[in-house]
Amino acid sequence: MKPHALPQHLMAGPWFGRTRSVRLLRFVNDRFLWLPLGALIALIWANTQGETYFAFAHALAFPVNEIGMALFLGLITQEAVEATMPGGALHTWRRWSLPVIAAAGGLAGAAFFYLGFVSWRHEAVLVQAWPVACAIDVAAGYYVLKTIVGRGGALSFLVVTGIVTNAAGLLILALWPAFTMGHLGGAVLLVVAVSLAAMMRRSKVRAFWPYLAVCGTLSWVAFYWAGVHPALALVPIVPFLPHQPRGLELFADRGADDTVRHAEHTWTAVVQVILFLFGLANAGVLLRGYDTGTWAILAAALVGRPVGVLAAVALALAGGLHLPRHVGWRELTIIALATSTGFTFALFAATSFLPTGAVLAQVKVGALATVGGAAATFGLARMMRVGKFAHVRR
Amino acid sequence: MRTLLCTFIVAFVALGQTPASQPVDLPGAVDSVKFAVIGDNGTGKQPQYEIGQQMSAARTRFPFEFVIMLGDNLYGSQDVVSKFERPYAPLLQAGVRFHAALGNHDAPENRSYRPFNMGGDRYYTFVEKHVRFFVFDTNLLDETQLSWIEETFRQSQDTWKIAYFHHPLYSDGGRHGSDVELRVLLEPLLVRYGVDVVFSGHEHIYQRTVPQKGITYFVEGSSGQLRKGDVRATAMTAAAFDQDQTFMLVEIAGRQLFFRTISRTGRIVDSGVIALQPET
Repeated sequence: MKPHALPQHLMAGPWFGRTRSVRLLRFVNDRFLWLPLGALIALIWANTQGETYFAFAHALAFPVNEIGMALFLGLITQEAVEATMPGGALHTWRRWSLPVIAAAGGLAGAAFFYLGFVSWRHEAVLVQAWPVACAIDVAAGYYVLKTIVGRGGALSFLVVTGIVTNAAGLLILALWPAFTMGHLGGAVLLVVAVSLAAMMRRSKVRAFWPYLAVCGTLSWVAFYWAGVHPALALVPIVPFLPHQPRGLELFADRGADDTVRHAEHTWTAVVQVILFLFGLANAGVLLRGYDTGTWAILAAALVGRPVGVLAAVALALAGGLHLPRHVGWRELTIIALATSTGFTFALFAATSFLPTGAVLAQVKVGALATVGGAAATFGLARMMRVGKFAHVRR
Repeated sequence: MRTLLCTFIVAFVALGQTPASQPVDLPGAVDSVKFAVIGDNGTGKQPQYEIGQQMSAARTRFPFEFVIMLGDNLYGSQDVVSKFERPYAPLLQAGVRFHAALGNHDAPENRSYRPFNMGGDRYYTFVEKHVRFFVFDTNLLDETQLSWIEETFRQSQDTWKIAYFHHPLYSDGGRHGSDVELRVLLEPLLVRYGVDVVFSGHEHIYQRTVPQKGITYFVEGSSGQLRKGDVRATAMTAAAFDQDQTFMLVEIAGRQLFFRTISRTGRIVDSGVIALQPET
């Protein structure tokens, strides 16, 4: 990741105090810490001044969750599309195959553990929250794993596993509502939006915003009309955007030397603001609201998913596939545990699949608590002497 | 110091309103609406059966016609025989009706269990003479339910409006506390449409609040379960009890609601009268 350099004149004189603030802002920005910051504020606010917090959060929910998050999911789609283009880090199926199998195993493991836990506790009302247990916070896993093992095959493995898992989650979300006549009207409007995007692409429109503003808006209305979560609106539009192939350096500075990249910079900055608001609007839960759903989410994320990932990879290896270079079973175990943090995506899934109420509250506490997966990953890496802990004495 | 003061105020208010030595009598009027209240009852264990026996004994003196259930009607395996039909067998045989709300431990399918009288719905309303009851599902308070609540409130011309649901909007229980998020959504509707009394469970104690924006909130979550010593009394507590399982008897006669809370041993732990809210 290329750091953002500060102009020299800002590094001295009376501006120094301000530059420290600027550097702090940059630090928060570069590491995608706006969301955790929003979440922290929300948690404190909800548990000290609950009435004002929840009134604020409910007012903010629609614009952030239904409109703003469309830009976030669009950006994620953009990352995935560009990585799979010729020249992209995930272009060939060989690079995909094992992480995809791992993702399938992780999904199955998380769902199995979640449903098993809920069934064991006889709390059928929690069954419908199972997709929340499957969500992975790719950014959190990425930073944890990068800190432990640095760049390489392990990081790619984790990112693909996370992207595929969340793509499956989005698919479930899109298929979630029952069919209504609104679906038909929405589908027609969606075809219009996608056709328009295809025509822009054919006409070599290089600017980013016509795609988002015109086709994206039409698509959003189509999804909303159809009763499908409108945050998915940009997913069918993004493949038509101008692209450049890329590696898997998530959230890296990509240079601002052309229209596409410049627009993406702006897009990323807007998404950072949205993620802050998303954390602020959704992460405020009453900590005393924990219950069976909380433990079920934690069991699924911290045990079910890693076990599922490892079991699926073991089966795939037995079937003739190979591990990436420099990735052995110890590294794979750490990768599997690094997928355990659900945080952003789990919160998004929770608010998307569940209405306000006691079920949502306890599941949200679980989604937040999966942040503990990061600490568990560091702990296990240290115990197993993986990556930067390879030379640590016991 | 502040806690001490709160405790003193609470003790004063509780003693002042509901002296255990001089419980308020239930009038037993001919045309009144009489019912019992239980919550968090479905354990299938001995205390639930003993509460069932106390309810049967109380009915010989106070012939209530129905029972409202505040959720967690069946814990664990949803065994209706050992956790509902046997503990309340004498009441069921006497034709007493039960009207259940869903708690977090209840299977959603239980709404179709005929003796719960939910008509297959998660949320519903029913009327007894001049009293309308509104039953919500606070596990999943979706937009559809919120619209239904508002519409049903708007249409109601009944003298008394009583709402009940599982998760308490106001609670001084140490385990869960008040569900503030639900309060933000529900309280404006309860206040706007003149609901008089609200019953909830979830917290395994008994509690009555000082009226909050004109509404008295009861927590009756100890008709089977019990979390001893869990009350954290504050200034909003009018009365609370966390030493034994309890159930409530309620009588609405004209413009007054009389209540009694009775423990597993038959002791009256709270009683009082609530007057109908003036029309706004």
